[in-house]
Amino acid sequence: MNRRIALRHLALISGGLAFIPSCDFSSDDILTAYENLKITQSQKQLLGDISNVIIPAGEIKGALEIEVPDFILVMVDDCLTSEQQTLFTTGLAAFPDYAKKTGNGNFSGLRNKEKETIILSGQKLEGDETEEGATNKAISYFLNTTKRFTIQGYMASEYIQSEIMPYSLIPGAYNGSVLISDIQKPRING
Amino acid sequence: MANLNIQSKEQRTYEAIVIGSGISGSWAAKELCDLGVKTLMLERGRNVEHIKDYPTTNMLPYEFEHRGQVPQKIKDENPVVSKCYAFREDAMHFFVKDGEHPYVQEKPFDWIRGYQVGGKSLLWARQVQRWSDFDFEGPARDGFAVDWPIRYKDIASWYSHVEKFAGVSGNKDGLPNLPDGEFLPGYDLNIVEKHFQEQLKKNYGNDRHMISARCAHIHEARPEFTAQGRAFCQNRNLCQRGCPFGGYFSSNSSTIPWALKTGNLTLRPDAVVHSIIYDEQAGKATGVRIIDAHTKEMEEFYAPVIFLNAAALNSNLILMNSTSNRFPNGLGNDNGLLGKYVAFHNYRAQVSGQYEGHLEYTTSGGRPTSGYFPRFRNVYKQETDFLRGYAAGFSASRGVRPNTEGIGMDLKNNLLNPDQYGPWYVGSHMMGETIPKESNYVALDPNLTDPYGMPQLKIHVDYDDNDEKMIKDYQEQMSEMFEKAGFTNIRVNDDHRVPGLDIHEMGGVRMGKDPKTSLLNANHQLHAVPNVYVTDGASMTSTSTQNPSLTYMAFAARAAHHAVAESKK
Repeated sequence: MNRRIALRHLALISGGLAFIPSCDFSSDDILTAYENLKITQSQKQLLGDISNVIIPAGEIKGALEIEVPDFILVMVDDCLTSEQQTLFTTGLAAFPDYAKKTGNGNFSGLRNKEKETIILSGQKLEGDETEEGATNKAISYFLNTTKRFTIQGYMASEYIQSEIMPYSLIPGAYNGSVLISDIQKPRING
Repeated sequence: MANLNIQSKEQRTYEAIVIGSGISGSWAAKELCDLGVKTLMLERGRNVEHIKDYPTTNMLPYEFEHRGQVPQKIKDENPVVSKCYAFREDAMHFFVKDGEHPYVQEKPFDWIRGYQVGGKSLLWARQVQRWSDFDFEGPARDGFAVDWPIRYKDIASWYSHVEKFAGVSGNKDGLPNLPDGEFLPGYDLNIVEKHFQEQLKKNYGNDRHMISARCAHIHEARPEFTAQGRAFCQNRNLCQRGCPFGGYFSSNSSTIPWALKTGNLTLRPDAVVHSIIYDEQAGKATGVRIIDAHTKEMEEFYAPVIFLNAAALNSNLILMNSTSNRFPNGLGNDNGLLGKYVAFHNYRAQVSGQYEGHLEYTTSGGRPTSGYFPRFRNVYKQETDFLRGYAAGFSASRGVRPNTEGIGMDLKNNLLNPDQYGPWYVGSHMMGETIPKESNYVALDPNLTDPYGMPQLKIHVDYDDNDEKMIKDYQEQMSEMFEKAGFTNIRVNDDHRVPGLDIHEMGGVRMGKDPKTSLLNANHQLHAVPNVYVTDGASMTSTSTQNPSLTYMAFAARAAHHAVAESKK
């Protein structure tokens, strides 16, 4: 089952449902596309918010615009061990409280600079034997994993590799002594 | 009814049967077909047609759902094959999953297999270095295994024969221990690799060499390759997906389509070979018994000549499973040595470092090969406290790495404008000769069977003290060479991989002069059943250090011509 298509279908279905006035959207449903994770719609939104702080939009699109959060969840769902998945989801669940405690209010309502500060400090949290230590460990694991997959998903996206820094299946003949000063490097202003 | 059976038997009769469609089997079939022999090729796996059945070959990185990574569930279900460097999202469909063909690890052994038309020739590392007499004379000089019944002069013209057709790029290096061949232009070493080459000359005179490794890639368009439907290598380095250009040699791109074009080849995929049929009255093999992979029904095919090229350990398995009153312990196994003296290549150690010179340079483009150290230990005489020696791979590389510190606009800017060149990274890995021993063996498990009802193979192969000493010597010598070349931050590693992951398992049906101590003669015929030829890794008397596929190709071509000459007598 291709999850991207499944998600698109879900979006279409829910988009259609939105026209039915009696439909209640207040419940926070668990997303079934990620079989090993119990991720809710609002958690996915939070993840999108975080990934958009890590690689923000500008003249060149940011992580959220090119659906990097979806890639992150696919990787966590498929490519991490169950222990790592538990750490990730625990960290994700604990993050809103952590943000509230360190910032001033809900993460989503904060200004960008404040969000950056919270993520950067959260990445550095260290675990210990206490319950709080375990939570801290999960938060830093969640944030570092999110950053790693954000970078991977962003750089290895169709958008970047076809429109911004085109990838070539045929790299050309080998030259084993190229003067760096001779290389024309286009500057891409993010 | 009787007539029908006769007809059916006729329809299942050929002039030769080749078991296996990988590198060696496809070479046997190609030569037989070129010589006008009606040949049946049996392959246990599915058909893989050149280009058509390479589903990932032109996929872009972002088209892989996990960007190349193997999902955890697949890793958990396949602990053995997951260790292979090429078992990635883009090529995992060409590998045998652990559960498909179970085996017994009496000692830990990672058995990496490719069951499809073309076998592992789709996946190999494409390194093709010739053997010399320093290799063939090893067992006799150093007193292990048995003497090879052949020497370089017996195989040299066959190396040329296969190199010209497969396409081998390399330089004429003029080294007595690594004979030159029929080469297309070689690939360049880069500026740091050349620096290392010069330093070796300065520090070790003419004793140690590092050359551009010879590889089975077409580096120059020539009519003989066009005639095969192959174009020159595009340096994609995506070989394990199957190459739409036919830029590297595989059975699928080269020998199999060539043999099919002669009209003499019948290819039968999904045919799991059960055994070779032996006729006691005639005193020879008369055919092959297979199990259809889908219907699980048994079928027989007949031919006066049988080539066994199922890959080293499976060729052992088939012979052991081919029992009769005459051969209760496996076909041709009068001396009880079938399955014994299995050996491999020791890839356990690596040495890496950095180089702070030539920092104004980098590389561009791609190349399908790298540097190669022919064996320099114990070549002319015994000089260490271990037998034989090791070859080594070597390469230097340099890339731009983006700064991934921080988050936000700075991070985004750094990612999109990578401009930090690190130092040059240099790396080497060993390829050590292991000594074949009676205690390293494969055998049939008396109880356990696979999904086809075939006995499971028990594998009992391990390192020994000679290997441990060799690892230490490689680490010391390579570190010293690195140091003398001005490399820094030198790290030695022993990854403690278990045998098998080298994918160079060999032996068990070894060649030799004496039927009492070997299974095959100088022409790759079973001493006791001369119309059965074994020309894959199973036939290896010793392993030396070179990647073995080129030698299997030459063996198969040579033996095919021998079989045809014999049939005309």
